[in-house]
Amino acid sequence: MGAALQSTTPRVTRRAQTRLGIALIAPLMLLVAVFFLFPLGNAIYYSFVDFDGLNPTPPFVGLDNYTRMFADAEMWHALGNNVIWIVLGTAIPLVIGLVQALLLWNVRHAGIYYRLAFFLPYVLPQVAIGIVWGWIYNPVNGWVNKTLEALGLGGLATGWLGNPDTAFYAVMATAIWSITGFVLIIFLSALRNVDLEQMDASRLDGVNAGQQLRYIILPQIMPVFLMVTTVTLVGGFQVFDIIFIMTGGGPANATNVMGTYAYTSAFQLSQISYGTTLALLITALSIPCAVALNRLQRRLSLQGTGA
Amino acid sequence: MKIPGMTLPASAAALALMISGCTGTAPTSEGDDGGTEQIRYLIEQPEDAETIELIEGDLATFEEQNPDIDVELEVMPLDSMRTVLQTQLRSGEGPDVFGWGSGPGYAGALAEAGLLYDLTAAYEEYDWPVYDFAKERVTSDGKLIGIPGDIETIGIFYNQNIFDELGIDQPENLSDLEAAAGRIDEAGITPFAISDKEGWQGGHLLSMALSSRIGPDGMDSLLAGETPWTSPDVVAALNTWDQFSSAGYLTEFPTALSYDDGNSLFYSGEAAILPTGSWLAPEIQNGVDFEVGYVPFPAEDGQGIFSGGLGSGPLVSANTANPEAAIKFLDYLMTPEHGRWTIENQSTIPPFPVDTEGVDTSPLFAQVVTDAAQIADGTGEFGYNIDVLTTDVFNDAMINGIQALLTDQKTAEEVAQDLETAFQAG
Repeated sequence: MGAALQSTTPRVTRRAQTRLGIALIAPLMLLVAVFFLFPLGNAIYYSFVDFDGLNPTPPFVGLDNYTRMFADAEMWHALGNNVIWIVLGTAIPLVIGLVQALLLWNVRHAGIYYRLAFFLPYVLPQVAIGIVWGWIYNPVNGWVNKTLEALGLGGLATGWLGNPDTAFYAVMATAIWSITGFVLIIFLSALRNVDLEQMDASRLDGVNAGQQLRYIILPQIMPVFLMVTTVTLVGGFQVFDIIFIMTGGGPANATNVMGTYAYTSAFQLSQISYGTTLALLITALSIPCAVALNRLQRRLSLQGTGA
Repeated sequence: MKIPGMTLPASAAALALMISGCTGTAPTSEGDDGGTEQIRYLIEQPEDAETIELIEGDLATFEEQNPDIDVELEVMPLDSMRTVLQTQLRSGEGPDVFGWGSGPGYAGALAEAGLLYDLTAAYEEYDWPVYDFAKERVTSDGKLIGIPGDIETIGIFYNQNIFDELGIDQPENLSDLEAAAGRIDEAGITPFAISDKEGWQGGHLLSMALSSRIGPDGMDSLLAGETPWTSPDVVAALNTWDQFSSAGYLTEFPTALSYDDGNSLFYSGEAAILPTGSWLAPEIQNGVDFEVGYVPFPAEDGQGIFSGGLGSGPLVSANTANPEAAIKFLDYLMTPEHGRWTIENQSTIPPFPVDTEGVDTSPLFAQVVTDAAQIADGTGEFGYNIDVLTTDVFNDAMINGIQALLTDQKTAEEVAQDLETAFQAG
């Protein structure tokens, strides 16, 4: 028991392999250090000082930024909006994308055109999407209100992006429109690997569409489903650009999420340290979710339930 | 929502990168090999290419007069300037001369951080005849830290044709204005073209109502912290707009309307009154086919006073490699000839006396110039545009507070309390 196993590889070869390994990972580690670890360490440093963007030697304030953050009502409001975005902004694209993918699964003619049409919004820049949808929601000339009025539903017309009750959901609807095409394409790819013989056999056995989805399709595409869930869910934590473009977090902070609140604090109120602390909280909250979903996805893949 | 796996940590990383000064910068200005000194001149991005061409032409005139100085014009959106300017200046790679707000929250903050060149000696040497009130705004710790921006007033433009058709006289007090709004509303026209999507317009609404209500002394007292922002006058000024909103006198959904959208309603005659600043006078004059009047927002017992403010003016970086060239450039901007040029070509009012006789400009802007001259020479009272004199924290509270007021999220008293809290925090 006490005898250690001896490698049969010559020592010289092992050293060469070690050197080769280090040489191979060194560029990646350098990139990680420069573009991730250093900025992250820098961000952590700034969360413990009071940096206003001007003073080159900001005073050390310990945990002040953290205690302020947890006592800040606007932070909780913004975080609450993130949670709503994570739940609805993840669930709705998954459902719509899955339904679209199932509908397009067996489309033989013009399928490519459908896929292109649905995927196009995803490749458009978020800035362009935000601007165009801003016009669509315009209370004076936007076609949403115009359509409602044409349908005799003028009473429902509102200032979609200026009404605190609708602004957040109007922006979210835009984001869902833009990402659903991505979900669709991924699901369509996964559906190609579903066992068609099993589907045919189930049909002969009288299994209905809902049962096919639950017992045959979903288990086979589950790892892909989890991957898409991870992407959209993590996106809910860090959502920023579409809100910033469309409402800037307003009106009266109604559409603030952690990203826009961090930006406002750091760059508009010159409270760089506080903004950095908010950004670190987003990071700290999102990493466990992403890791958990990745592990679940890997486990299911190893169990062979993957597509 | 498009996120590859590691973007979350990267968001903090990106923020940290910006903090650590890894933003894009242009090369530091230095004298070149031909004996010509180069200075970089950064301004907020104008709305159209024509304005840039106009400024480039003006710079060419300066370069002709000063062949040993080459001015390189740079433009940047205001939001980007807010983000990168301080970092650039601190790193020593900022512009030599740049346009920035004149108030204590803008130029004053940069001066406190030691980022601005002290122009006190230059003022003495060149004897720049800047108006006293404007000079105060660019004075920090007893030093003159820049050239004040152009003079701007805030008041109300009104459609004279609609007023005439409805038999409404120019409002002499707040009751008149309210009565006029009622008659305009009854005629099926929106009384006030209010937009507040961007938020800054809300600060102007408060500035004009409050300035006329309490006058310059009252504004001084508020801004000095001697009177709290929860005072009845502040609440009443906020309530003025709240009541107009409740009465249906404002555009529908003002917080959903951009500044341009709101202005368009006035240009098209769909709204009769446009509360905004004098900077819009040339555009109004060129864009409408009806007569337009421009008056202060009325007080309860009189015609009220304009809110006066200063736009962005040229400042010099403390780290400039060519301070003499930069100051020569400022001196050019301060000449009477250049003052006339700005009035005629840019429709802005310089912060120093200019002989406007024979100046080629529109009647509406000529009236604005006359009003501003009374402010400038001390013969007329004027209030303040609050947001250039207060901190970012206060302005944030004001922007959000008035949006909340216009969308019935908060009462005037609650907004006033938020303002007081922000004022104390700032």
